[in-house]
Amino acid sequence: MPREALLAKTLVELADSLVADFDVVELLTHLVDRCVEILDVSAAGLMLVAPAGDLRLMASSSEAMRLLELFELQAQQGPCLDCFRTGQPVVNSDLTARDGPWPRFSAQAVEAGFHSVHALPMRLRGTVIGALNLFDFEAGRMREDDVEAAQALADVGTIGILTHRAALEARVVNEQLNQALNSRIAIEQAKGMVAERTKHDMQSSFSTLRDYARSHNLRLVDVADDIINGRLDVPALDRPPGADSA
Amino acid sequence: MELETARLCTMCAEVTGMSGAGIMLMSGDIARGSLCSTNSVSALVEELQFSLGEGPCVDAYKDDRAVLEPDLADPHTGRWLAFTGPAVAAGVRAIFGFPLQVGAVRLGALNLYRDSPGSLTDEQHADALVAADIAAQAILVLQAKAPPGMLAKELEAVADFRYVVHQASGMVAAQLDISVVQALIRLKSHAFGNDLSLDAVAKDVVSRQLRFDATTDGSDSRG
Repeated sequence: MPREALLAKTLVELADSLVADFDVVELLTHLVDRCVEILDVSAAGLMLVAPAGDLRLMASSSEAMRLLELFELQAQQGPCLDCFRTGQPVVNSDLTARDGPWPRFSAQAVEAGFHSVHALPMRLRGTVIGALNLFDFEAGRMREDDVEAAQALADVGTIGILTHRAALEARVVNEQLNQALNSRIAIEQAKGMVAERTKHDMQSSFSTLRDYARSHNLRLVDVADDIINGRLDVPALDRPPGADSA
Repeated sequence: MELETARLCTMCAEVTGMSGAGIMLMSGDIARGSLCSTNSVSALVEELQFSLGEGPCVDAYKDDRAVLEPDLADPHTGRWLAFTGPAVAAGVRAIFGFPLQVGAVRLGALNLYRDSPGSLTDEQHADALVAADIAAQAILVLQAKAPPGMLAKELEAVADFRYVVHQASGMVAAQLDISVVQALIRLKSHAFGNDLSLDAVAKDVVSRQLRFDATTDGSDSRG
C-alpha cells in the first residue's frame, strides 16, 4: 500500500477507535506501531507530560531496554524535552555532532545504534501535552512531507488523549452529581424520620440533624445515613457529644 | 458559564419540532428529579416516570439507547403498563426518550412528546441526539463548579427533586418501622391505588393528614 493510503487508513482507524470507554494506552501503542511502518523509522515512542510537569513514556514500539532508557533520559535532556518546551518539531538532529545540545542523550543513542532522532509536538491550540519521538538506525533526513505525515500521526494521538481526559473528567463530575443527589435524598428521608419521631416540623428536624453532625464532628450525610439505616436512634440525637454510649 | 437551565427543555422541543420536552436526571437506574419541562403535559410525563419508575426516559437511560414510541395509544409492545394510560389521557400520542450521556457517562434522559402519532424523521432523530448531547454537556459544566458532595446551585434551583416524597418516605418508615425503600413503595402503591399523584400523597403525609400505621389492612387512614 502506498504511504499516503496507509496514512489515511491509519488516521481513519485511529479516529474510529475513539469510542466510549476506549483504552488510551492501546490506542497509543497502535499509533507508535503504525508510525514505524508509515514513516519507515526503526522505533517510535510517545512521551506525555505528567501532572508534576515531567515527561513520561506512554507507549513504545519496542520494549528493548536500551530504547526505554533513551526515553527515560529525555525527562532531563533530549529532543523530546526541547520539542515539548518549544512546541516546535525537532527533526534531523545530528547525534554524532560534537558540542550537540544533548551530550548524554546523544552518546547513549549512538551507543544503542541510532543515527537519527526526531520529535514532533503533541499540541492542541495553546497546550503542548507531549511529543512523538522517532529513532532511526539510518542517518537519513526527514523530508518536508515526512514531517507532515509524522505531525498528522502525533495529532491523532493528541486527540485520543484529550478525548480520554474529557471522558475521565466527565465521569468524575457525574460521580459527584450522583453523590450529591443521593446525599440530598438521604438527608430528606432522615428529616422525615426525625419529624415523625419527634413530632417536630421539617425545619427543626433538619436543625436537629445538623446540630448533631456539627457537635459530633460528623458529615450531615453520614448522620442521615445512620438514621435511615437504624444505626443511630432518633432520641440519641438530643444527647450531647460523649454521652452516646454508657 | 451563564446558562439558563430551564431553557434547555425549550431548546430541545424547538429544534426537534415536538410538542414538549422534559429532562430527567437519573442515577443508579432511578429517576432522581426533573431538571425542566416545557409544559404541563411534559411535567406529567416526568412525574409519571418519577412515580412509576417506568417510561421512555427510564428505558433510554437503562438501555443506553434511543427509545421510540411513535403511537403510544396503539403501541406495538405492551411496555409501560402504568405509564401509558395517564400519558395518553393527557394528550401524548408519540413519545421518544434519548439518553443524556457524555462518553460512557450517563446522566439521565431527555423525553420528547408530540400530540399526534408518527415516527421521528431522520433529521428530527439526529437533532434530538444533538439536543441531548448539549443538555448533557450543560449539566456537567454546571455540576463541575459545585463543591464536592454538593449539587450545583443552578441545578438545585431549577430541578424538581421531589424532596417532599423523600421526607414522606422517612416519616412512613418511622410509622411502620420499615426501610425507607419499602416506605417509598407503600407511598407509590397508595398513590396508584387511589388514583392520586405521588406528590399529593407525600404532601398529605408530611402535613400529617395521612398516616400509614393506623390500620393493619392496608387501607391507610386520614388524620
